[in-house]
Amino acid sequence: MTAETAAPSTRFDWSTWLRRRGWTAGVWVLLLLMIVWYSVLIPKFGGFQIASISKNSLPLVYLAIGQAVIVIAGGIDLSVGAMLILSNSIAAQLMFEQPFAVTLAIAVLVILIGAVINGVVGWIITVSRVPDIVVTLATSFILSGAALLVLPSPGGGTSEGFRAMFTGSTTGSGSNFWPSLVAIAIPMTLAAWWMKNTRTGLSLYATGSSPIAAYLSGVPTRRAKIVSYAVGGGFSALAGLSALAITGSGESRAATGSLFTLRSVAAIVLGGVALTGGIGSVVGAAAAGIILFTLSPILSAMGIDPNTAQVVQGVLIVVVMMVAGIIELRRQRAG
Amino acid sequence: MTISNTPMIEMEVLPDSKWRTALRDRPLLVLGIVLIALVIATAIIEPRYLSVSGLRNTVLIAAPLGIMAAAQTILMLTGGIDLSVGMIATAAAYVAGNQSPNGAGIAIVLGLLVGVVAGSINGVGVGIFRVNPLIMTLAMSAILLGLFTALSFTVLQGSTTVAQFIKTIGGGSFLGNRVPYNALVWAAVSVLIIYGLRRTGLGRLLYAVGDNPIAVRLAGIRIWQVQIAAYAIAGLLAALAGILLAGRTGAVDLQLAVNFLLPSVAAAVIGGTSIFGGIGSYSGTILGALILGVLTTMLTFLDAGQAIQQIVYGGIVLGLAWLYARVTGTS
Repeated sequence: MTAETAAPSTRFDWSTWLRRRGWTAGVWVLLLLMIVWYSVLIPKFGGFQIASISKNSLPLVYLAIGQAVIVIAGGIDLSVGAMLILSNSIAAQLMFEQPFAVTLAIAVLVILIGAVINGVVGWIITVSRVPDIVVTLATSFILSGAALLVLPSPGGGTSEGFRAMFTGSTTGSGSNFWPSLVAIAIPMTLAAWWMKNTRTGLSLYATGSSPIAAYLSGVPTRRAKIVSYAVGGGFSALAGLSALAITGSGESRAATGSLFTLRSVAAIVLGGVALTGGIGSVVGAAAAGIILFTLSPILSAMGIDPNTAQVVQGVLIVVVMMVAGIIELRRQRAG
Repeated sequence: MTISNTPMIEMEVLPDSKWRTALRDRPLLVLGIVLIALVIATAIIEPRYLSVSGLRNTVLIAAPLGIMAAAQTILMLTGGIDLSVGMIATAAAYVAGNQSPNGAGIAIVLGLLVGVVAGSINGVGVGIFRVNPLIMTLAMSAILLGLFTALSFTVLQGSTTVAQFIKTIGGGSFLGNRVPYNALVWAAVSVLIIYGLRRTGLGRLLYAVGDNPIAVRLAGIRIWQVQIAAYAIAGLLAALAGILLAGRTGAVDLQLAVNFLLPSVAAAVIGGTSIFGGIGSYSGTILGALILGVLTTMLTFLDAGQAIQQIVYGGIVLGLAWLYARVTGTS
């Protein structure tokens, strides 16, 4: 972060850049390669296929960004999936048969609700000193219970304009892929900029990297933790909204939530965010979210049935992590 | 520490603080009090609960959970965690159900084998390849679910009901329908684990690895061996819990034990096992599992609907963890 400002006259240092951004860049290259591979695998590759990938990966991308912000600040949130179904349920219930302008206002409200609830969760973690995993495990029960309370059976709905905002089509399925790409790019860029360029964003990195050192240097570590959870909650709520835009109705199955939570953790690790905190970026996590989603259409295009595809997906994640582990081990031994 | 000496002495004088110190020294006492309070609360809601059959039901619920939480406790002591216990239990139960026509013995052995194999693979990933336990066991859970869904259409087609013997040990009772057989299994497992953790070399190594891996490595211990052993044992315990659970429900499906994952972590945490490793005991986890068992019974009696049940369950788990951290001063 400081390299650019320190010596503007020196030429671009590739090795430093690779060391700092190598993993993030690698993840994006991998994503690009996968999409190229996918386009070769299927007979017709056009706007519809791109839109299908970009819009359907939206919920996971948002969850991965939210989880990344929390993990970078030294926490971990096992309730992001439950927050997704809660915001999905609230929005589906409130937005049903409302005009576009009203649904937009409700969307803002839902994101705020998500941020406030998760901010309180972050506050509980800092006050109680109970580990993050335990607190968010417990709140995942509470949130998914609340979702069930709001929306007992699948239903509700939203406006056509709201669906088009995320998916590019009023029916949720079409070949206009630009809105969904924008829906990925804007929140990702904003979050990345905020994390790397603002005082609060940098305090998240400092807190996650070494809470004691950060505290002793005057960083408000408690506030950083609470802020990271609030931002993460906001993104989880956004994920729920995008899921509503894709399917057009709400659903409050707790199993969906826990599946999403697990995938969000897998996505951030694949995206280069260290679970120990302080390392990684939301940009890498977002790409990994798309990668995790893109695996399934690729595997189905290869004629592999969904169940075997799930096995392959799991094995691939482990293999990538093993390779990363070995690289890290070698680097430690060499250095 | 020396600076805060004076206020500390002042605090000691307060009778409240003495009470608190006593509790801090005996965290199990706190859990015992919570357990009794919950039993009394349940009895107030439903007076019939305070009977042999009422308490028997709680033990019947708590036993599989307690065994699954044993797996979680062992791994948490090493600084790991197993998010695949639910799926390992389900897979083991599924195999046991499928093999039931060949006799209960073969069914149980093959079921347990599934657990050991899956657990060992987790251990190899975590111990040798240094994959983060969260990711490794998460992926294992996804792999098992996909694998068994695919297999259920081919190799594992057929029986989904378990043998009579498994039904008996999972759901039956003896002494005139008073003591459930699965409590007997749980008691045997508990004795083995408590003894093993306290008295055997491996047991102490589990604590040591979680407490200070660098010191353990410098002392000449191969940490990866300890980790593989821990994950294999955890897989075995999860499989056992799954088979008992299948015996209680009588039939197996691929959702059988999935909902037990979070309670298994919660039981260990409520019991005072630190998620960062090195601190905890199985006796605490036993009380944790019993507390969750009573809680489940209480929520069933309240008949409040699934949504409220989940909210109350989460709230109480959070509250207990908070209380425990407050009382013992540890996290």
